[in-house]
This record gives sequence, C-alpha cells and structure tokens, in this order.
Amino acid sequence: MLKQSDAIVLRTYPLREADLLVTLFTREEGKIRGVARSAKRSKRRFGGALEPLTRVRAYYDQKQGQELVRLDSFDVIESPLMHDIDYERTVALSYVAEVLDGLLPDHDVNDAVFRLTLSVLPHLEAGSIWMPLTYFDLWMTRLMGLLPELGACIVCGDELNGSGRVFFHALADGLMCAEHKRLASSEMSLPSRQLAAEMFRSPVDAFAAEPWKRQRGADLRKFLAQCIERHIEGKLVTSIALAKLD
Amino acid sequence: MSKFAEPMARLIDELKKLPGIGGKTAQRLAFHILRASDEDADLLANSIREVKASLHLCSVCNNITDVDPCVYCSSATRNQRLVCVVEEPTNIAAIEKTRSFNGVYHVLHGALSPLHGVGPEHLRLTSLSQRVDRGEIDELIIATNPTVEGEATATYISRMLKSFPVKLTRIATGIPAGSDIEYADEVTMAKAIEGRREL
Repeated sequence: MLKQSDAIVLRTYPLREADLLVTLFTREEGKIRGVARSAKRSKRRFGGALEPLTRVRAYYDQKQGQELVRLDSFDVIESPLMHDIDYERTVALSYVAEVLDGLLPDHDVNDAVFRLTLSVLPHLEAGSIWMPLTYFDLWMTRLMGLLPELGACIVCGDELNGSGRVFFHALADGLMCAEHKRLASSEMSLPSRQLAAEMFRSPVDAFAAEPWKRQRGADLRKFLAQCIERHIEGKLVTSIALAKLD
Repeated sequence: MSKFAEPMARLIDELKKLPGIGGKTAQRLAFHILRASDEDADLLANSIREVKASLHLCSVCNNITDVDPCVYCSSATRNQRLVCVVEEPTNIAAIEKTRSFNGVYHVLHGALSPLHGVGPEHLRLTSLSQRVDRGEIDELIIATNPTVEGEATATYISRMLKSFPVKLTRIATGIPAGSDIEYADEVTMAKAIEGRREL
C-alpha cells in the first residue's frame, strides 16, 4: 500500500544512469529521501514535479529497515514554474530549499516549519524576494530553536534597549552591547530589530504591500544567516549567490 | 590479493569510473577488450587518446570540435545570423536531428544553478554578449531546458541583452508530439495552454 503526503521537493541528485535521489519535506513524516526511478530518462511519471520547492502530493513506498523510500508518483499542487522565473527568484528559492535541507533532521515531523514554508513561497516572486526571505529566516531560526535572545547582551546580560548600539559576530551566539562587541563585529540597526519584533507579531501577508528594498533588514538577514551557518557548521552555497545579487 | 592480474584489475577499475558502468559490466568490457584483436584494442586506445588530444572548444560558439571554428560556425550554407543558445554541446545533436534549424549555436556549458554554486560568471555569457555586440546576430533563440534553472538562465540572458537590437525568442514548451493529453503533468499542461497559438 502506497503512503501519501503533502510534500515540498527540496533538491535532487543524480543517481545511477537514469534515476534521481530526491529530498522531500513531507507534512506527515518530515524530511525523507527517496529514489525516483528513471526520472532522468522519462518525464511521464514525475514531469516537472521534481523542481526545487514544488509543492506536491507525493505517493511513495517505504520498506521496513530501508533508509530510502521508493517514489511512485507526484501530483503537482503548486510549481515555481507556474510563475515568472528570473535569476533572483531562483537564488531565493534555492536558498529556502538549502536552509530547509540543512536544518531539518530526517523523519522529524515539523508542521510549523511546513506551514511557514507554504506561507512564504507565494511571496517569493520575481523582483520581490527580500521581505519573504527575511520573514523565512527569522521564523525558521526561531522554530528550529536557533534564535538567541534578541533583547539582551550575551556577554553582560544587560538589556539592549532602543537607544544603544547593538552588534553581532559570526562566532558569537547572540547580540552584544557596544561595550562587549568583538573585533570585526557588524552592527544591527534599530529599525531591523523593530522589524524582527513586528514580524513575530504579524503574518507574512501583512508585509506584502510594503515596498521593500534589498537594504531593508539586510543586517538582520546577515545575523540570521550566521545563526543558520553556525548550526550547519558550513557556509550556505546559496547565501554566496544571494550576496552577489545586484 | 586481487582476483585478477594487475593490468586487468587496473582496466576494470578505470572502466568502472565511466557513467552507468558497475563492477560486473566493467569486468565484461575488460574481458571483451582482452579477447579482441590487437588491432581493435589499439583502435580503442587510440580513439580515447585522440579524443583527449584533438578536441577543444570552438572559439566562436564553445561547441566541442576538432577544427576551429567548428563545422557549424564555418559552414557557408548555414544562417550565421540566427543563433540558438543551448546549455550543453549534447543539446546540439537533439536540435540537429529535427533538420528544421539552419542557424548556428552558442553553448553555455551549463545553466544558472544557485544550489550547485553555478552563477552567471561560470557560464559562457561574455562571449555571447560579444557576438551580439559585434552585430553578428539578428535573432537569438534561447533553447535552455524548461526547468527552473533553464528558465532563470533564459531570463538572465534576455535582461543582459535587452539593450542590443537583437530579436530574442524562447523555444516553446508543451505537450510532446504523439503523446496523450490524459498523461500530461500539470505544469506541462499549464505551459501548453499558456503558450497556445491561434489557428
């Protein structure tokens, strides 16, 4: 009997001559890996459903004791190919896929992260990626338990109130006051801290109408990306591409 | 201790490195080569050596070739002002099979793929924009794959060349000829309806 689940395709890797190894974030079973037989040779069973961040209804078969599931077929619910694609949007979609793949443990059901991804994806459109990426990073780090306390200095514990300058560093696990900042720290602006607080209170749709330039929340995104990279103990390939975008 | 003589084991190991060749197939191929005549074995060895020694990229279109410019770029019968942009040299064979394209090519050697660290600087885009800049091209057909990466590459090229007086077109996507609509996937069907044409 085939299992089925609402799922998001994260990425694919070539396997043998014609197969693909697919990483899927399923609603029912968390992140799983499976083999899509002959997916490279024939598009009949999977069609365009294996593109990163395609939302699908996945049908698969899992034998006891086997790490990889056998992917039977996918019904596409929402595909990134159904909307305009440009390089900027592709980088953003790839970033979300890489973060999900890097942070989610295998077979760990996480409905909150699944819902977060579904809420952010429709906003990742050509020409407007920075708001949904900021929202995704912020909530992703929080839901995965990686977000440090934003209201206090991690060294002295003093409250970081609105007027004082606040800093962060790639190797420090939180924010620091001006007195305890490390060498080569970056500053996080007051508007970015206010933005983070606002994003915790409101759904992503609430920010959709606002004009959003790349600079807005850039320091917050850098801080969040550092939190993620510290956890995965490596640099995100797609964050390099994001940094190079005009 | 290896179960084969050292030269045989080495040949099997080398053959195993080829795509789609597992241990057993490598053994079969190695024994076939062993049983073949000296002349056939020499021909195979020389072909492999020659491929590595004589093939390089065409200075115009980046296709893999043994002569420079390649047969397409130096052909007097082909329309040199109509250029089809493809991701890989292997894509050229698929287009040539149609016998309906008489232009020339430009090979990018990949598509934009942020997940694999492939950015614009890794593709042969500078030589493409130089060809367009020299006024050598009337129409550019972008024939990258209809995937997220291929579409992103197509959009990137169209933006890169928007200031040049060149006609940019994209190959159509939709239902494969001879197939059944009943079995078309959702994305392909949506693209087919979106790209419908008037009769």
